Amino acid sequence: MRIRSEQIIFFLIISVLPLSAVVYVSYDYSKEAIRDSVMTNLLVATENTGRAIDDWMAARKDDVLIISTIAENTEKEKLQGYLFTFENEHKGVYEEFFLLNPDGNITFSTLDRTGNAAKERYFAEALKGKLYISDVSLSGITGLPEIIITNPVKRNDTITGILGARVSMENLYTVIESIDIGKLGEVFIVNNKGELIFHENRSKILLENINNNFAVKEVTYEKRGVGEYTNYKGEDVLGSYYWLPLYRWGLVVEMNKDEAYADVLALGRLTTGISFLAIFCVILLAFVMSKRLTKPIESLKDGAHSLVRGHFKAISVSSNNEIGELTEIFNQTAKELLDIRKKLETKIETANKDLEEKNRELIIANEELKKLDSLKSDFISLVSHELKTPLSAIRTSAEFLESEEVKESNVEKEMLENIILSVDRLTRLINDILDFSKIEAGKMEYHFERANFHEIATVALENIRPLALKKNITISVDIPKNLSPVLGDREKLIIVLNNLLGNALKFTQNEGRILLSAKDDQDSIMIRVKDTGMGIEKNKLVKIFDKFYQVDSTSRRKIGGSGLGLSISSGIIKAHGSEIYVESEPGEGSTFFFGLKKFG
Amino acid sequence: MEKNIDAKIVELIKNDENISNSKISRILGIPKDEVERRIRSFSDTRQKILIVDDEMATLLPLKRSLEAEDYIVIEACDGYEAIKKSKTEMPELIILDLMLPGMDGIEVCGQLRKNALTEKIPIIMLTARDEINNKVKGLEIGADDYVTKPFNLNELKARIKSVLRRSKNV
Repeated sequence: MRIRSEQIIFFLIISVLPLSAVVYVSYDYSKEAIRDSVMTNLLVATENTGRAIDDWMAARKDDVLIISTIAENTEKEKLQGYLFTFENEHKGVYEEFFLLNPDGNITFSTLDRTGNAAKERYFAEALKGKLYISDVSLSGITGLPEIIITNPVKRNDTITGILGARVSMENLYTVIESIDIGKLGEVFIVNNKGELIFHENRSKILLENINNNFAVKEVTYEKRGVGEYTNYKGEDVLGSYYWLPLYRWGLVVEMNKDEAYADVLALGRLTTGISFLAIFCVILLAFVMSKRLTKPIESLKDGAHSLVRGHFKAISVSSNNEIGELTEIFNQTAKELLDIRKKLETKIETANKDLEEKNRELIIANEELKKLDSLKSDFISLVSHELKTPLSAIRTSAEFLESEEVKESNVEKEMLENIILSVDRLTRLINDILDFSKIEAGKMEYHFERANFHEIATVALENIRPLALKKNITISVDIPKNLSPVLGDREKLIIVLNNLLGNALKFTQNEGRILLSAKDDQDSIMIRVKDTGMGIEKNKLVKIFDKFYQVDSTSRRKIGGSGLGLSISSGIIKAHGSEIYVESEPGEGSTFFFGLKKFG
Repeated sequence: MEKNIDAKIVELIKNDENISNSKISRILGIPKDEVERRIRSFSDTRQKILIVDDEMATLLPLKRSLEAEDYIVIEACDGYEAIKKSKTEMPELIILDLMLPGMDGIEVCGQLRKNALTEKIPIIMLTARDEINNKVKGLEIGADDYVTKPFNLNELKARIKSVLRRSKNV
């Protein structure tokens, strides 16, 4: 479960439940209180009304009693006048006053009625010598509810007649109307049989029996009280009932329950509203709180995710609580991790680059080795040819001398010279190979000493001149007389010059020129061998110092070189702490040059 | 051209049996000693051998040795010269060194075999390279025999004789 949900549930549990309980209890309590107060009010109002009815009825009873007393001592005409006057004074209360003789005949009526009322109960009861109040009945004259009050008129304790008053119930309305019963409430009076004898709604049918009503039942049991029940119309009502014993009437006041308890409902609604508002506020609060709590945690989570993916941005610290501290620590750690990661990546990259570089170097080295290997095979095959050629010449010449009858002495001499030439050539070749292997193995021995370049050049030129003469090539020498002495191995430098001059001779056509020059240059002297030969193509320039390399594998043989000359020379000059350079243009000739350290 | 000169010399001699060499030289506009050489070669019945080798040291004793055996020996020191001389001199046999400057022996052999004038001249290959694949290559391309350096002179002479005999029989 998410923290947010947990928090909301937690807040709901700790706040809403107790709140709800408190609200409910207080609501219930208030409801009871309101209900009690409503009931009490209703009961009091009912009692007051009952009492008012009592008072009103008592007044009517008193009226009849007083008039009866007056009638005992008053003359007939005077009494009749009084009754008219009284009736007029109480207009609407009394419908009629009438007098009966003991036989029941109407002797006087304010309505001028005649007849006999001997069979009426009010007559019989009054004749017994007591005041009688009839039940409510509908008037035969007006059709409205009325009661009849009768009282005997005595003279010397003998009943001489009966005074009757027909009392309209109209005035009770004014009494009853003072009770607040709401729009839907009802006020009515029943007799002891449960028959409706009075209803504030005048259209109600009177004398209808409604004793299935709880309040009516209660009141017919002569009880007083208040209660909630379903009335005769099927409505839920709050009703109070009041028993009027004097007339055996029951006053019932009913209020619609909803109206009666409108305050309770309002309170309920208010309470519910407040509760919901409170719940809403709590949820909102919990939401906000949890958001405040979870937002940095979410940020941390996102940060951790992005850290895993390797593109981390520092999380903004939104609070200075524990989460804020945690965020700071996380940022710090993430930064360190990223730094470490970057360093590692850089290291890996460097290592990879190194590996690639090494790999490339290895590939190049391998290529070079392959090339060298192929050059070596060529070299071996060439050398074997070079060795075999003079050997073959020697053998053939010797065989010739041995087997043939040599007629001419000059042919014999020719053969012997041929043998000597071949032996010389073989010797040169073997020396070259030995020198080359010594240089390659680093076992060449040098005797560095003060050397005069003039002497070296002279020896080399002596070797080369006869060959140059054959090709009709001019060799010029430009060496200043005051040239500084050099530090070097005389014999080895002669080899170098021999090789360079030999090459120049080899690659220069007949009647070409070769220039050997030397001059001082700061702390060394610079030596040049320049020819007017065929030159060397640019792409071959770098290769000519390679071991075994030959610009043209067949051209060299006219002079009997081994193809090792440049390699050997280069090795010797390197041992002197210098290097041989070459400048050449095809068709224009080549210049080989190198520096030699001055002596001292 | 060369043939023409020979034919013209023969024609001049037919017309005038007593014509002098210097007169022929004048008529044809060529040196007198060349006229002499050509006239000598008409009557020469010796077999002519062309040796192709750039190594004078090898060539010289071989030449002298074959001359002693009564062969006419002409020489060439590279491929181009060899092809040219094969056409003009029409040798009976060519001794061809495999290692030559410029065009090597195998190529020379191939060119000789392609040309109608030279295709039937027997060739003996001569080389220091004794690897088997070179031998096979040389024979494939039309060499008649193969001798490796350093060779036994008597063996070479024997081979020359046998190759010449075979070519005559054909």
